[in-house]
Amino acid sequence: MPTSPLRLAAFALAVVVALAVAVPVPAQDARVEAARKEGKVVWYTSLVLPSAERVAKLFETAYPGIKVEVHRTGSERILQRVMQELQANIRNADVIHTSDAGHFVLLKGKNLLMKHAPAGVDPFPAGFKDKDGYYYGLRATLNVIAYNTKAVVAAEAPKSWKELLDPKWKGKLVTAHPGYSGVIATHVLALSHLHGWDYFKQLAQNRVMIKQSAADPSVVVASGERVVAVNGGEYTAYKAKKKGNPIEIVYPREGVPLVVSPTAITAFAPHPNAAKLFTDFTFTRDVQQFLADSEGLYTGHPDVKYPADKPKLSDLKLLTVDPEELEKRNEEIKKKFVEAFGA
Amino acid sequence: MSAVRLKGLTLRYGGVDVAAVDNLSLEIGDGELLALLGPSGCGKTTTLRLVAGFLDPEAGEIWVGDRCLSAPGNVVPPERRRMAMIFQSYALWPHLTVAQNVGYGLRFKRDLARADREKRIAEMLRVVQLAGYEARYPGELSGGQQQRVAVARALVVEPEILLLDEPLSNLDANLREEMRFEIRRLHEAFGITTLYVTHDQAEAMVISDRIAVLQAGRVAQVGTPDALFERPRTRFVAEFIGKTNVVDGVAAAPDVVEHGGVRLTVAGARFTPGAGVALSVRPHQIDLVEPPGAPAPNVFAATVRRSSFLGDSLDYEVTITGSDLVLRVVGPATRRLAPGQVVGLRIDPSACVPLDGA
Amino acid sequence: MDRALVVWVGAALALVFLMAMPLAWLTVMSVSSEAGTTLGHYRYVFTDPALAKSLWNTVVLAFWVGLVSIAIGAPLAWLTARTDVPGQGLIRGLVLASFVTPPFLGAFAWEMLAGPNAGLLNKVWRGVTGSDHPLVNIYTMPGLIFVVAIYTFPYVYIMIANTLALIASDLEDAASILGAGRLTVARTITLPMVLPAIVSGFILSVLQALALFGSPAILALPAGFHTITTQVWSFFHFPPKIEAAAAISMPLLGATAVLLWLQKRLLGRRGYAAVGGKGGTRRRIALGAWRVPALLACLAVMACAIFLPYGILAKAAFSRAWAQPVGWDNLTLANFTFTFFEYGATRAAIVNTLELGVITASVGAVLVAVLAYVTNRRLVVGHQIVAFLAFAPVVIPGIVLAVALFIAYTRPPFVLYGTLAILFIAYLTKEMPVGYGQSDATFRGIPPDLEDAGRILGAGRLRVLRDITAPLAKSGIIAAWCFIFIGVIRELSASIILFTPNTKVMSVVIFDLKEEGQFGAIAVLGLVMLALTFVTVAIVQRALGRDVLGARE
Ligand SMILES: Nc1ncnc2c1ncn2[C@@H]1O[C@H](COP(=O)(O)OP(=O)(O)OP(=O)(O)O)[C@@H](O)[C@H]1O
Ligand SMILES: [Mg+2]
Repeated sequence: MPTSPLRLAAFALAVVVALAVAVPVPAQDARVEAARKEGKVVWYTSLVLPSAERVAKLFETAYPGIKVEVHRTGSERILQRVMQELQANIRNADVIHTSDAGHFVLLKGKNLLMKHAPAGVDPFPAGFKDKDGYYYGLRATLNVIAYNTKAVVAAEAPKSWKELLDPKWKGKLVTAHPGYSGVIATHVLALSHLHGWDYFKQLAQNRVMIKQSAADPSVVVASGERVVAVNGGEYTAYKAKKKGNPIEIVYPREGVPLVVSPTAITAFAPHPNAAKLFTDFTFTRDVQQFLADSEGLYTGHPDVKYPADKPKLSDLKLLTVDPEELEKRNEEIKKKFVEAFGA
Repeated sequence: MSAVRLKGLTLRYGGVDVAAVDNLSLEIGDGELLALLGPSGCGKTTTLRLVAGFLDPEAGEIWVGDRCLSAPGNVVPPERRRMAMIFQSYALWPHLTVAQNVGYGLRFKRDLARADREKRIAEMLRVVQLAGYEARYPGELSGGQQQRVAVARALVVEPEILLLDEPLSNLDANLREEMRFEIRRLHEAFGITTLYVTHDQAEAMVISDRIAVLQAGRVAQVGTPDALFERPRTRFVAEFIGKTNVVDGVAAAPDVVEHGGVRLTVAGARFTPGAGVALSVRPHQIDLVEPPGAPAPNVFAATVRRSSFLGDSLDYEVTITGSDLVLRVVGPATRRLAPGQVVGLRIDPSACVPLDGA
Repeated sequence: MDRALVVWVGAALALVFLMAMPLAWLTVMSVSSEAGTTLGHYRYVFTDPALAKSLWNTVVLAFWVGLVSIAIGAPLAWLTARTDVPGQGLIRGLVLASFVTPPFLGAFAWEMLAGPNAGLLNKVWRGVTGSDHPLVNIYTMPGLIFVVAIYTFPYVYIMIANTLALIASDLEDAASILGAGRLTVARTITLPMVLPAIVSGFILSVLQALALFGSPAILALPAGFHTITTQVWSFFHFPPKIEAAAAISMPLLGATAVLLWLQKRLLGRRGYAAVGGKGGTRRRIALGAWRVPALLACLAVMACAIFLPYGILAKAAFSRAWAQPVGWDNLTLANFTFTFFEYGATRAAIVNTLELGVITASVGAVLVAVLAYVTNRRLVVGHQIVAFLAFAPVVIPGIVLAVALFIAYTRPPFVLYGTLAILFIAYLTKEMPVGYGQSDATFRGIPPDLEDAGRILGAGRLRVLRDITAPLAKSGIIAAWCFIFIGVIRELSASIILFTPNTKVMSVVIFDLKEEGQFGAIAVLGLVMLALTFVTVAIVQRALGRDVLGARE
């Protein structure tokens, strides 16, 4: 892990100090007291596990006495869980955070979300805000190609999505699954707009290894099991690279799917106060900056500074998808993918 | 008083139509050793387990003295029957030592002090000649020793009634013989009312005061070994106890039975002439004589068909001249007859025992 | 007979809750739609090309696993039972280890060993030969068959070794004297005698392969193909198609029932009775010069099942990057710290697993002990039916059971989904046959005379149970407890359907981590699971005083 415990602790201290200074004290006290009575907040999140656990630790350090229960799995699994639990009348989740914006359209439509605007989201770009005020983009990442630098020289590396169809990559590619990952579901929809469904049928000809999480392709590529990841969250690839893995990221020139991962509080949240406190906490500049710094994510926060070795979003051709469409075509995306790849 | 009375006991095993014990009545005198004898499957074990209380009878009553142990709707469980039992398998507990096995029943005698208990165990083990074996486990004993532990375990509680289910059938012939006398000796020493199940008639005869012969869940006949042997009442009993010749015939006169031209006079009989009659004639009660010159009552000429030398006697199979009647006869070893030889047979009228149910 | 009534009401209730109601719901669900009763789901399951393919994949997998299990298990059994191959104790111990290794851990380990590019074995192969093709690609059907078979062959081994141990050499000698050569003896005498055991081992392996979820999920999905079990699981993904999951469960249920029935018939007709020759010595065949090669062959199998997988798990647990060489700079305890102190779900999952393991094993051991006692002592009318019911869950594969329980217990009046109770029910049902088998053998070994002897000497029914039955049955009951416990802590195929975030168990956490590619943490948890398993096995061995693979009866 690049972040030493010392740095983490120092950062946590900074967060606490910043919060103490920034927020008017009496109002803050009442909110924290109510949250503390609830004792914990249950967070269903698709943020990769170590990152999610670290955000949880930061919150717990800032607000002693309120625990964050992290339930991390793929975006699509989170929706499955939430819906299955509701069917059985289980009200467990306080805060839901996935990378499939369509989920929030669906949940909002079913009146399962609580309206809550986190403090300080006003200056966020429009793409990070639900027009009705139910969910807000906590973080964003890009969908990128990644390759193993030991196996491929930069000149040979694919520069575009289309180049992945070249038969020379046969048996050397790895993909994650839209049935698991919201990042990938978004990616698949964006690319289908760009190149049509046929693109995936052709890609499957190259006998692509199928993994689940958008975090996994970069792991597979780093290990050398496959040479090129045909998709995957940029932030996990970036982190792998930072850790010294032989991995390089390609931002394809036809366009890079931008995945904004929203967060929302459930309408049935068993710990509503803690949920609000936690949600507000995650939108503070410090945490947003933390996501950018140590997790390699993009955010909607205007004051966040990005590492110098990451491209500016404004320099890239971004491909965005409409959450409504993502919601409507959820099943179709998975079905088309399974048809093409077999599983 | 620990005389046992069984009245009309009936038991049918689940799902089986035929009763294993069928309206069985029996009395066992105080201090008596009664053997339940019968072929395999006749209901001996079932009867014993009814008495022990492991099975509940469908009908009938069990009394010990003036205590009713079992009547419809009122059954005393085994642990309160003051009985002891020796099992065919010995049923020694493998996880307890010899002393613990023997002492187990004493745990339930509240009034017995610990020291007394130890003393009684030691005394009992001495009686069965197992002193010094206290700390062994049953698995470390020979078959005969195990058997004696089983005996000790049953006797040490001084039961009112002792039940034994073929306790000797697992032993080899020599040991079995020895243990028969051992059990008889213990019985005489302790005088416990005893019910002894066996299918071995020799064993029953040696060991018991009286024998109850069981047939298909019923008592066929009860009596002393002598009485059963001398005066069997049915063909079944006659054939089960010792060897015998059964002669089927027709009553020609109140005391004469005829079978294919052979007329036998029967002592003290009162047949209805013309009725079918069966007689039992024990082989050793037929005398071998010179072939008769002239016809005489109960004396016949016969031809030896087969002879077998048994060491102290000879066993013959003979056909009575002029009839199809084949008899088994025992002759002295001093005089040997060869097959084909003609001999005379004399059958004492008192040796002819009429049987029920011709 | 109020006693009978209590037992019967209890048994009937248990039956209804554990099996009847869930299976009834499963059936109803498989034919229901918004428009009423329909056979549409079945039509869909059997005609949709992708689903039909998954059915076929399952058949192929199960059949080949059966064959490969025989190919491994039969020679191994023969070598250890009838020859003087050295290291017999070691080999038996390793077979046992393979028997209790959770197959999904094996599959996971083999990903690291034989992934076509990063897999350790393939790297070594490339390094040695200079070839740019992998030696093995584990992400293929043959790869999957291999990985499943190295953990199911013990079923064949147990059946055959125990049968061979019963055939006296006399029988074979008799044929030799009549002039038959060694091969002829093997073909005409030995083989026919162990044939029922071989076929029955084959069927047991096939059943394992049919019901397995973890290994196909780990190896088949990346290769782009499904089996029935992974298909059932994916039907639960959003938007769920529970009806289709119910419908595709039916062929699995049916196949299992038919295979078990076949096995019973086989063993019934020419089973152990035929080979249960009394006495007779069993001579060992001298292998001569072949002793060492034979041992090496056995160890090669064990390398695949045990040494290599355990080794790579240990390596992954202590490495920063599992694919990189061992060395000081790659050595770390971070995986342990992360697993136990940073990842919140682990501790809860370990607690859940242990809690479920202990409770299920305890309730289960008591339940099967009571059932076995009641049936062996024929304490109630219809005890045969009770015995049959205790064995019945054997026909329900874990994932099918889970689907049935999910359907039954996500709706009123019994909403158990989301609680540990539903996992408890699933585990109890699933482990009941194993536990009952063990208990039944235990009580069959305690003659009723021993209890009667206590009764007649003055001990009441309960006292006899305490003084005589319990001490004699103790080790058997402890063994049943352990068998159930081991079964529970490794259970994945039912848990994966029934867990919720608050009721995760270790196997599910491992699977979750797997989907995210967290190798280090998986390896750590896997080692914990193996440690738990082996401690439990050691307890069984002690309790029974013999090894677990020995003949049960
Ligand atoms: N548990 C049982 N269930 C059904 N039938 C039984 C049972 N036990 C005994 N029987 C039947 O009841 C009848 C009497 O059995 P029992 O055991 O009393 O015979 P037995 O005289 O002791 O025979 P043996 O000399 O062989 O011990 C037999 O026909 C037997 O088959
Ligand atoms: Mg008997």
